[in-house]
Amino acid sequence: MSKSTKLNNKYSWIFMAAFASALLIFGGLRDSGPRSQQDRIDAITMRLACPTCQGESVYVSRASAAEAIRAEVARQVGSGLRTDDETIAYIEQRFGGQVLLLPRSSGIDSLVWALPIAALICGAAALGVVFRKWRTADDGAASAEDSALVEAAMASTNVTDANT
Amino acid sequence: MFAAGGVSSSLGRAFLLVGIIGSLFGALASISSARSRDRTVARLIPRFSVLIFAAAIGAFATMEYAMITRDFSMAYVQKVGSTATPALYNFAAVWSALEGSILMWVLILAGYTVAVCFWLRKKMDDVLTNWAMGVMFIVSTFFFLLSFGPANPFAAGAPGVFDGPGPNPLLQNHILVLFHPPLLYLGYVGVTVPFAFAIGALVTGRVGEGWLLATRRWTLFAWGFLTFGIILGSWWSYEVLGWSGVWAWDPVENASLLPWITATAYIHSVLVQERRGMLRVWNLSLLVSTFSLTILGTFLTRSGVLNSVHAFSESAIGPWLLAFFAIIVIVSIGLIGWRGDRLHAPGSIDSVVSREGAFLINNVLFAIFAFVVLLGTVFPLVIEALQSRSIVVGAPFFDQLVAPIGIALLTLMAIAPVLPWRRASGELLSTRLFWPAWCGIGALALSVLVGATGFMPLLTFALGGFASGSALRQVVLATRRQGLRGFVGRANGGMIVHIGVILIAVALAASNSFTHSQELFLKTGTPAYFSGHSFELIKIVEETTDRAISVKALISIDGGKAYAPAITKYTKVGMNIGTPSVRTGIRGDIYLTLEPPVKQDSGEAHIKVFIKPLLVWLWIGGFLMALGTLLAAFPGRRRKPTDATSALIGSNDVG
Amino acid sequence: MLGEKKAKPVAPIAATVVGIVLVSLLWVLVSAKPNPSDNADSPLLGQPAPAVVTTTLEDKPFDLSRRKGSWVVLNFFNSTCVPCRIEHPLLLAFAQNQLSTDNPAELYTVINDDSDGAVAAFFAENKGDWQKIRDNDGTIAVAFGVAKVPETWIIDPNGYVRLRIAGQLSEGLLDEQMSILKVQFGS
Repeated sequence: MSKSTKLNNKYSWIFMAAFASALLIFGGLRDSGPRSQQDRIDAITMRLACPTCQGESVYVSRASAAEAIRAEVARQVGSGLRTDDETIAYIEQRFGGQVLLLPRSSGIDSLVWALPIAALICGAAALGVVFRKWRTADDGAASAEDSALVEAAMASTNVTDANT
Repeated sequence: MFAAGGVSSSLGRAFLLVGIIGSLFGALASISSARSRDRTVARLIPRFSVLIFAAAIGAFATMEYAMITRDFSMAYVQKVGSTATPALYNFAAVWSALEGSILMWVLILAGYTVAVCFWLRKKMDDVLTNWAMGVMFIVSTFFFLLSFGPANPFAAGAPGVFDGPGPNPLLQNHILVLFHPPLLYLGYVGVTVPFAFAIGALVTGRVGEGWLLATRRWTLFAWGFLTFGIILGSWWSYEVLGWSGVWAWDPVENASLLPWITATAYIHSVLVQERRGMLRVWNLSLLVSTFSLTILGTFLTRSGVLNSVHAFSESAIGPWLLAFFAIIVIVSIGLIGWRGDRLHAPGSIDSVVSREGAFLINNVLFAIFAFVVLLGTVFPLVIEALQSRSIVVGAPFFDQLVAPIGIALLTLMAIAPVLPWRRASGELLSTRLFWPAWCGIGALALSVLVGATGFMPLLTFALGGFASGSALRQVVLATRRQGLRGFVGRANGGMIVHIGVILIAVALAASNSFTHSQELFLKTGTPAYFSGHSFELIKIVEETTDRAISVKALISIDGGKAYAPAITKYTKVGMNIGTPSVRTGIRGDIYLTLEPPVKQDSGEAHIKVFIKPLLVWLWIGGFLMALGTLLAAFPGRRRKPTDATSALIGSNDVG
Repeated sequence: MLGEKKAKPVAPIAATVVGIVLVSLLWVLVSAKPNPSDNADSPLLGQPAPAVVTTTLEDKPFDLSRRKGSWVVLNFFNSTCVPCRIEHPLLLAFAQNQLSTDNPAELYTVINDDSDGAVAAFFAENKGDWQKIRDNDGTIAVAFGVAKVPETWIIDPNGYVRLRIAGQLSEGLLDEQMSILKVQFGS
């Protein structure tokens, strides 16, 4: 089977990548229509913790303080004078930082954002080091013939390859 | 000690005392047998395991007896018992509060101890087995002590009490309370077995001899229960408790997710050890982390340091669990530091683009995942300790950080299953990934066509299609070659688990991104409309039983069958529980909750409607995960006819 | 942690690093206190009080900004809340004691998530002739950041929030705090 007749040649992958990117960009950027007031209320209350109930969000909670906050958010959304962030800032101003479900990204609170990124970097670095180290024990790349042989063998055993 | 509290109380404590002594002697026998190689001592080990199991059954049965006979002389029965609780929920009431849940832990742990002992009865004179049994017995001793001392379920109660409030109303309105906690505990406690073997291997320095392969199936077993328990829990929270979501990133939920993450990482990386003999120390570390995380999770959720909707009441067991956690961590890290280099395996990875390379990346991703969840869970405590200020780290934080990890894992799930061991050529990849990639494109095109928007959900759908293509390719090739047998075995079962995970990821992405809700004020006879559906209040029904008053609003959706969201007031506890009503559909659920206040004769109801796309696929995915786990637990190749199917893992299909 | 697999003696080093991280985690866990209880802190302390424009139970208009010049005590109240009922006699005593001071503080009950009828009935039975003001959709409670009734707030004659007491009052607490505040901020 020569490469040019196979479906899965370089060009079909390029076509696939282009098609996928086009779909992603089209779908990702297109307007999903105006957000309803209830959508905004939901989005805001999902980011607020109910002050009396053990870490539940205002969106979920049925406690009276949560009901009151939800009503206040609904009023502010209804009046159209404040953005989502401003509404959240208003509630935070009154109840303090413990009603924010999303930690702030300033001061010591920012550690909760920085540490995962540090973990990602460490993980990537460790992977790099490990692969590099193991690769040095490698005795050079296989020749094209070897690869072809391996591929043929793999194709015939591709059921058991994953099995073992 | 046995003064007040009646017969049950004294009997229960006597059983626990027997358990403590039995575990202590079991530990002594195991360790002395390991050191002295004395066979007569080794023969005692199974007897002690049977003894502690009997003691645990005795204690648990005593508790059940006290609960069923409503023995209100006991503090625990006063706390969770009630004459009005139906028999089934009364049975489950035993594990509805802290002391009883520790007692159930003890029972399951003793069960695992005796099961391991029975499984290894022919190998009782092996040093590694002895050390592993020793660890099992030490852990049992700790939990028996916990139940005997700080979490004593048999304490005498105040005199003159003849009725109680019954269990938390959330734990007496659905049959799942009988299954969800025991399943979860089978998972939590199950990881003790591989942990014990990990410690045994570290102490003896014998890590390359296949013991890990032997415990692999125990880990899979525990992992399966944990998975199933978690999914059942989220189904419960969605369909019954009316928390409208399936996962809230609550500390208690995180505590169950953490060991699941590290166990998942282990299930993958142990394959590298089997095949290539590498990653031994890493795998040990994963097992140790999994076990420590179950203890840490138990501490976090039962000591009252974290706020959670499902938290147990404050109690004195916090310091005990913390001390136990500290001991486990110190001993394990000490052993790994001491032995780690000696256990190091020769071997190298030829190429990043290989099965083992993919497993390594998988493990790094899972490690980051676990780190993020742990960090978010304990971060409020860090801030509290440093600045004595209280903050909340909630669902939006986890959603934002876990989404990219999930995308990375999906990408890996798309590519890794087709990778061969050692190395892969570009051409091989191109051949094997071609059709799976088209599945991804198809899924993407379909989601764009039906109107999905946003990069993250679309990326999830595309990668989900791609990854299921890769998983299906494996299953199709295997069944084509082996017929029905192609469904069983680790790799094929594993691929079915993958498909389940992908469905869950897609369902979560869809329901998180495209859920819409609306509050509706309904009047009988006047339908209201939302999102293309009509909602009409038929009537409001009130039902009274001797433990609760419930108000239901019968609502017809699109003129069809009536759904009945309800609010139930449990009179003895004075707590209102909302029960949602869900119209499940392949394309999406319509989720109704009734909002207070409701008046029976007003002809008016205030409801909230949620439209949740694709949510049912989450449960289908969960079912596939359970099915796949079962299939993976069956051996992939024919066993020797002489082998029992239930025993002897890894003795004949290694590699 | 992956470094543990290298041929060099990295295991002890890796184990030490992991150990240090875990010991600090343990330190955090050991020092963690069970659920922080009622917190009387508020971002509003020392800030101008939020606007409160509403009506009283007798349908008279109420505007907090018009109360400037005297100390104002707002008690957020619900007739079904047990601590609210328990602390009621203390509020009666406080109102009585204030009459004998110069520039007596004005006490108001802010009705929280309760019906007019239930509140009227409660005060008819348990006395208390100060004004009860309505907060029908919880605007006032949210503006002050009231988490759970009862809460008692003190506002100075210039309209600045000076004190928040979360939860049930204790005997004499309100009188004591009031006189401290009067000395501190003038009356």
